[in-house]
Amino acid sequence: MSKIKDLFESGKIKSAFIPYFTLGDPNYNDSIEFGKTILDNGADILELGIPFSDPVADGPVIQRAVARSLKNKFSFSEIFRVTKEIHRHKKDVPLVYLTYFNPIFHCGIEDFLNQAKDSGVVGLVIPDLPFDTKESEVLFQELRKRDMDLIHLVTPASTKKRIEALKKTSTGFIYYVTSFGVTGERREFSVDLKERIRFLKETIQLPICAGFGISTPDQAGQISGYADGIIIGSAIQRIIEENGHEFPKAKQALAEYIAKIRVAIP
Amino acid sequence: MGKNQPGYFGEFGGRYAPEILTEALEELESTYHKLKKSKKFKKELEFYLSNYVGRPSPLTFAERLTKHWGGARIWLKREDLNHTGAHKINNAIGQALIAKFMGKKRIIAETGAGQHGLATATVGAMFGMETVVYMGAVDVERQNLNAKKIEMLGAKILPVTAGEATLKEATSEAMRDWALNVSTTHYIVGSAIGPHPFPTIVRDLQAVIGKEARSQFKKQNHKLPNAIVACVGGGSNAIGMFTAFLKDKHVAIYGAEAGGLGPKPGEHSATLTYGKTGFLHGTKTLIIQDEAGQIVPAHSVSAGLDYPGVGPEHAFLSQSKRVDYRMVTDEQALDCFLEVTRTEGIIPALETAHAFHVARDVAKDLGKKKDLIICLSGRGDKDVTEVLRLLGEKSK
Ligand SMILES: Cc1ncc(COP(=O)(O)O)c(C=O)c1O
Repeated sequence: MSKIKDLFESGKIKSAFIPYFTLGDPNYNDSIEFGKTILDNGADILELGIPFSDPVADGPVIQRAVARSLKNKFSFSEIFRVTKEIHRHKKDVPLVYLTYFNPIFHCGIEDFLNQAKDSGVVGLVIPDLPFDTKESEVLFQELRKRDMDLIHLVTPASTKKRIEALKKTSTGFIYYVTSFGVTGERREFSVDLKERIRFLKETIQLPICAGFGISTPDQAGQISGYADGIIIGSAIQRIIEENGHEFPKAKQALAEYIAKIRVAIP
Repeated sequence: MGKNQPGYFGEFGGRYAPEILTEALEELESTYHKLKKSKKFKKELEFYLSNYVGRPSPLTFAERLTKHWGGARIWLKREDLNHTGAHKINNAIGQALIAKFMGKKRIIAETGAGQHGLATATVGAMFGMETVVYMGAVDVERQNLNAKKIEMLGAKILPVTAGEATLKEATSEAMRDWALNVSTTHYIVGSAIGPHPFPTIVRDLQAVIGKEARSQFKKQNHKLPNAIVACVGGGSNAIGMFTAFLKDKHVAIYGAEAGGLGPKPGEHSATLTYGKTGFLHGTKTLIIQDEAGQIVPAHSVSAGLDYPGVGPEHAFLSQSKRVDYRMVTDEQALDCFLEVTRTEGIIPALETAHAFHVARDVAKDLGKKKDLIICLSGRGDKDVTEVLRLLGEKSK
């Protein structure tokens, strides 16, 4: 059984806190420390971004993070090294990668998955790989062989028909995109968010975690009341952006923020 | 969607876009499917093409150039004579009509050289639609005349400063805007790129170029040409020119892509020569990328060719060897720009100058009594300042 499934079925958490940050911003070694800090202050699942030069599903904050990361020489061996270090710090927290399909394809699907699994990664989120492509099907089969999960995105624009269709190749949890557009902090969410999540829960027998735009403890508290998890990316990345050049300050700010969100989630 | 489904050209093409766009892409696909067969749509499109764009565009025999090059007879398919000065208007009008049929009131576009932005701003003004154009900040500088025209037409230009601040970044930004406003907005993709159905729609709308050229040539010469040439950025004018001739096995087809400053990564945008299979902007195609799958910035003297990807159908035509794609350097293009201008009295776009360079070689190889058609994709007014600057630099 997958590690993510274990976590949700253990009954230990009511709603999961899933922070995200981009590896390599501002450099790979600081990423290790940021990862540890986030784990120490309460992540249930940690999403690690593998930078890609053209992140079309991301808003300005994550775009800038990716650009900063790519100023360092990008290599998969660095990505896996950093991931292993973070994993070693707290082995029971599932790690997932968020990245675009091109780097994975380039690395070679099997090679990538073997190394990812070896580094402690148990699932993938790929915003530009729709489930109804040949590549996604291949990826799903390869992941399954390794007890890893393919986490699909569902959006307010996804039709019932597509939601039904993606059930077959979805595992782990569903990443529910709370609003139109790209990643980034938002003040308001669509009015029917709660209903959409309820509908999804009934349709897909998987935990539904909400992301894109969540940033404040208030929002986290509210949405975790009805979602199985909340994902926070841009707000975390902004803290790294604002303090990343001063490592101790960044670490401190990150720890405080994560802890604040942690207590807001039931 | 599988390998043999619509939207694929061999292994290339498909739909690899964020989930938020899928519904809009499916709506576009089914609307287009219906409109393609609709007499009303066809009539309306033809009306605008002949009464607003000025089609059919002439097929000009280039007598002086033919003599000067001393090889095959040179013919020019004159897309430079279209309203707004390039082939881009064929696509912009068609897609604006599709947007109208879908009830979308806002159109957006990405632009490199500014010709597609200009075409979109023009149809936006004509149909009374709110228009936003994404343009790399670098291109706003080097194609300033077009940027000014776009604003004059009432469209909003949003300069994109990320990355290299050229066409690739403008395309990403337009996709993000579309994701945010997908229910009210149609994204008029400007080349034969992007997720299905865009490469097909753009090809079909540009196919008028080759269709006209083929029948014009046949009417005048009672045969087909021996070769045709077009420049390839994303590949819309080229695919428009090629489509009518693909089945004519004895017509040799050539594409000219930007060899830029040289073969090193970052110095060119010769996707079909140096690209590897990958995924960018919603499609599986050949892409200039490094060994880790990061996209390498492209370079070309012409903003319209400055893109590290290419339309998936070209990737297929290159792989299947139906089309011979060749590289042309910045310098060769610049030389041809001046040569054509002075010999024939036509100032071509810098993009098109790449096609002329390939054509010169092909014409010599073919020899006399053979015929070659060049797609003159656009006029060079937009490039005059940039060319003068480059010539000034060269003479220093
Ligand atoms: C005159 C002209 N030719 C060619 C191109 C290249 O685009 P495509 O390859 O889509 O025809 C452009 C793009 O801006 C252009 O303005």
